Amino acid sequence: MSDFFSLFFHSFIAVILLSIAVATIGSIMLLNRYSYTAASIAHGSYGGIGLALYFGVPMLLGTTLFALALALVLAAITYGNKERNDLLIGLIWAVGMSVGIIAVDASGGYGSDLMSFLFGDILMVPKSDLVYMALVDLLLIGFVALFYNHLLAIAYEEDFAKLRGINVKALHYATLLLIALTVVMSIRSVGLILVIALFSIPPFIAERFTHSLKAMIPLSGVLSFIFSLAGLLISYSFDISATASIILVSAAAFLISMIRKRE
Amino acid sequence: MKTAVKCDNLYFRYHKEYILENITLKIEDGEYIAIIGPNGGGKSTLLRLIMGLLKPTKGSIAIYGQSPQRAKRVIGYLPQKINFGLDMPITAFEAVLQGRLSGSKLFYDEEDKKTALRIMENLGVANYKDSKISELSGGERQKILLARALACDPKILILDEPTASVDIEGQKQIYEILKNLNMTKIVVSHDIKILFEGVDRVAYINRRLYMHDSPDLNIEHSEGHFCEMELFEYLKKGCDV
Ligand SMILES: Nc1ncnc2c1ncn2[C@@H]1O[C@H](COP(=O)(O)OP(=O)(O)O)[C@@H](O)[C@H]1O
Ligand SMILES: [Mg+2]
Repeated sequence: MSDFFSLFFHSFIAVILLSIAVATIGSIMLLNRYSYTAASIAHGSYGGIGLALYFGVPMLLGTTLFALALALVLAAITYGNKERNDLLIGLIWAVGMSVGIIAVDASGGYGSDLMSFLFGDILMVPKSDLVYMALVDLLLIGFVALFYNHLLAIAYEEDFAKLRGINVKALHYATLLLIALTVVMSIRSVGLILVIALFSIPPFIAERFTHSLKAMIPLSGVLSFIFSLAGLLISYSFDISATASIILVSAAAFLISMIRKRE
Repeated sequence: MKTAVKCDNLYFRYHKEYILENITLKIEDGEYIAIIGPNGGGKSTLLRLIMGLLKPTKGSIAIYGQSPQRAKRVIGYLPQKINFGLDMPITAFEAVLQGRLSGSKLFYDEEDKKTALRIMENLGVANYKDSKISELSGGERQKILLARALACDPKILILDEPTASVDIEGQKQIYEILKNLNMTKIVVSHDIKILFEGVDRVAYINRRLYMHDSPDLNIEHSEGHFCEMELFEYLKKGCDV
């Protein structure tokens, strides 16, 4: 019984830490339409997992470095060129995953773990990951608190932000690097495939019901927390995947919010 | 008299073809300039060059004698397109406050808030302070964006089609406000009938620039005035491009 409690306790902490990340970077991601780029970082990061396994580097370290490198490349590709780079973003996505698959194969015997990286397991988050998640959360909160007005100005209209002397380029790079860290922090809990859904849906719903980013961020966090907890509960009751349950709860809430808003 | 904007033999292209060619332009301090011309003619591009957001392919630009990069502070700007989704969570007051930002200013102080509010009051939009911008009408939103452009206390005001989605009544109000603002003004517009009452000169841009020194572009009497047939044809069509 105490085993179960400590297991669930870790998941509960993970849910809180994830919700904080969803609230902060998820909101910035949505307002700047970074979702596709973020998805590319997330999926491409599988390459980092594979290489870490192959070279025997600690998983978090290897994946972090690889994801940061991907984010830098994507930041360079997407800066000031919002429309015509879908092809390159998709290419990085595919190449990253392919590198991962080959490296995992080459390191042998880890094939059974693939699913756990793609979908995570919030009931099995190790303590070391919680520390990593907390550190990333602190970075995210600090970043958004400090640059709130600049980030909002860029999201609203980039030319005006540039004219006022805001360093749009530096903040673009910083945002994508933080998205990469957020992806890595979520690998073991919700996995690479679904992290983007979790990071998009609560901010998307919150955006529709708030007047200001100041309100959107906390509302996203609360929604994410509720969806995750409900997902966990469903997953526990019916013995199904926690990640899939969380995403389905979020998607159901998304549909309901669409209907309610249209009324 | 000081010269606010000076473009010398300016060329610009993104790719092979020039979008602007041989633009020579001098705008004096305090002048009110209207820019007209067909869509895709390069009006917004010229404004972005003047603001230092694009670099000329050839030629030079000076803003009060400085390079555009260094003169950004003195320019207030209302963009043609705002690239946000319908639900962008930003209040009118937050948008106006953005006019007070700078590279090193991360937070607003009391003075910023007072200034922003005063300008909103002057433009008659202070009561929308806490409204979500996307829920305002076109005219209200453009007045908010005008307040945002004015919030940095600019010497040059650059407005790119400020009344494109505004009803006639709102257009009149906005141009009335503009007439009474005391600074160098450069306004791109298709609403020539309303706009021309106040302006000093009119520039027509379609890859090249033709400056017309009299704002009297009354089409009935003007055939003889126009050395540029293209501009005449444009006006005759009523600028509906
Ligand atoms: N980022 C860009 N890359 C390539 N071409 C562009 C870009 N922005 C604008 N153009 C082109 O430059 C030309 C002039 O555009 P613009 O200055 O916006 O015209 P206007 O404001 O007079 O309607 C158009 O043909 C447009 O397609
Ligand atoms: Mg334009």
